[in-house]
Amino acid sequence: MVPLENYLVLSAIVFALGVYGVLARRNAVLVLMAIELMLNAVSLNFIAFAAYLDPGKITGAIFAVFIITVAAAEVGLALAIVIRLFRNRATSNVDEAAILKW
Amino acid sequence: MRDYTIFIPEYIAAGSAVAIIGLELFMPKFRKDGLAYLTALAAVAWFVAGLFFIGKDPKSFQGLIASDDFTTYFRLLAAGIVFVVALMSAHYMRDRTKTASEYYGLMLVGGCGMVYMAAATELITAYISLELLSFTLYILVGYLKRDNLSSEASLKYILLGAFSSAMFLYGMSLIYGVTGSTTYAGIAEALSGRESGTDPAVIVGFMLILAGVGFKVSAAPFHMWAPDAYEGAPMPVTAFLSTLSKAAGFALILRLFSAAIVVDAAEWRWAVMVLAALTMTMGNLIAIQQKNLKRLIAYSSIGQVGYMLITIAAIGYGDPQGGINATSGLLIHIIGYVASTLLFFTALTAAYNKTGRDDIDGLKGLAETQPFLALVITCSLFSFAGLPFFAGFATKLFMFQGATTSETMWVVGLAVLNSFISLYYYLMIIRQMYLYEPVGETARWKVNPVLGGLAVALVLAVLFIGMYPGPAFTVSEEAAKPLFEPGVATGMARVP
Repeated sequence: MVPLENYLVLSAIVFALGVYGVLARRNAVLVLMAIELMLNAVSLNFIAFAAYLDPGKITGAIFAVFIITVAAAEVGLALAIVIRLFRNRATSNVDEAAILKW
Repeated sequence: MRDYTIFIPEYIAAGSAVAIIGLELFMPKFRKDGLAYLTALAAVAWFVAGLFFIGKDPKSFQGLIASDDFTTYFRLLAAGIVFVVALMSAHYMRDRTKTASEYYGLMLVGGCGMVYMAAATELITAYISLELLSFTLYILVGYLKRDNLSSEASLKYILLGAFSSAMFLYGMSLIYGVTGSTTYAGIAEALSGRESGTDPAVIVGFMLILAGVGFKVSAAPFHMWAPDAYEGAPMPVTAFLSTLSKAAGFALILRLFSAAIVVDAAEWRWAVMVLAALTMTMGNLIAIQQKNLKRLIAYSSIGQVGYMLITIAAIGYGDPQGGINATSGLLIHIIGYVASTLLFFTALTAAYNKTGRDDIDGLKGLAETQPFLALVITCSLFSFAGLPFFAGFATKLFMFQGATTSETMWVVGLAVLNSFISLYYYLMIIRQMYLYEPVGETARWKVNPVLGGLAVALVLAVLFIGMYPGPAFTVSEEAAKPLFEPGVATGMARVP
């Protein structure tokens, strides 16, 4: 059986990639994808913990289901907002959304 | 126990939200300010229903969510905030949008989100209610669809909000991995049962949770979304953001930190203290150079968050009695802060409806053209700064008193110093109103009677709390007690 550590390392790597994506990407849609990556890392963590440390109980798996649901809603909402920004300004680049600063 | 009656007030609020949205769906011609008054009515019903829950035995829904005096405190606070903000928005939204029902519906739903955040005693519930509130705020901030600033503010808010939720969740997953439980009681039990010694997973988990909730209450260095969201949002939404979302964040922090992870306080309390010192200093220093009123209030509220965070650190340093003192100090300051903020924004909305300007220069000569509003704004600013006879003074005093332990002394001193800095930029606003001649039109104008009445009521409330804080203090102390009862916070065995 694959040891728990492998899952945790994988999820940490995916999470770090997500953080990198949020910081480095310039397109709002790609930033959203990076955030999805972070949330998936969290789900992986929860499921791995639930399977290895908490046998018989499925709290972690339930948490993962909730995260997936909320993440879907979040993306729907965020895309709607991106589309609105695009209509107002014809850009989805987060760098160009810079009227508000300091 | 499955007791579905413990959240009847929230059913009323959520039901009214659906009814208001349905009303506009079937009667598109319904007056838009009429919807605001209906929302205010729903908030009153919510408040009255909440009154029946005062002092009742705490009840828990299968250990997931609890209804006790702490929950009821935030229930009444949420109803009050929704009431004031709905009345504040009546004319503002009528003049700017064609559909307003979602706006008012979401406001009620957001209020429910805050109550559930205060009530949650389990991580999944806490997360879902946090997102319930956040989602409504994302939409409300961007409610003015064709407004460039509004949509930009909303985009920035949702991207950073989602990012912070992910961090919060990662922290939760680590805590779940260490403790094997998601209920606060289970986490506290597992943490105190652990043989001592620092566990890196626990520390990383705490820090990520702190970063996540720090984002939500806009503590520095996680505050960058707040000024943008405040400035871009419609004026009443800014009031909603700076009162309800702050109070809700602290409700979640209080319950989570005092019931679940207080047993390992040694591993997070220093971080909270540093966060508090950083937050208040940055907020107040950056506020000095602001030109836009909403942005200035955003930074000033960041400063206030810094003061409030000291009490969280004090909970980590004190015993249960010290915890009650610190928590009740925080709760009473939330009342004072919410009252002054709502007062400020009521007056500012009235001025904005007339002049259409939200920068500090826009208030030039307000004492000439509208002396009543100038007086009201002055009252609220004095209350923010904590001058005697205004709510801010009494509540801040109680909070600092409750937060003072031998370890947190230096931050409290820094907070007092910061209060003096804040007085400078509040006086700058007052100077604009009283010492300059009005630009353009110099004739007196009348304040809308709803906003005027609201402002008078809030001024009276601010003065009442400032001169006679007894009732507010009793309320906060009763609300703080359930968090520190033995059994709820299992094993207050603290790490020295």
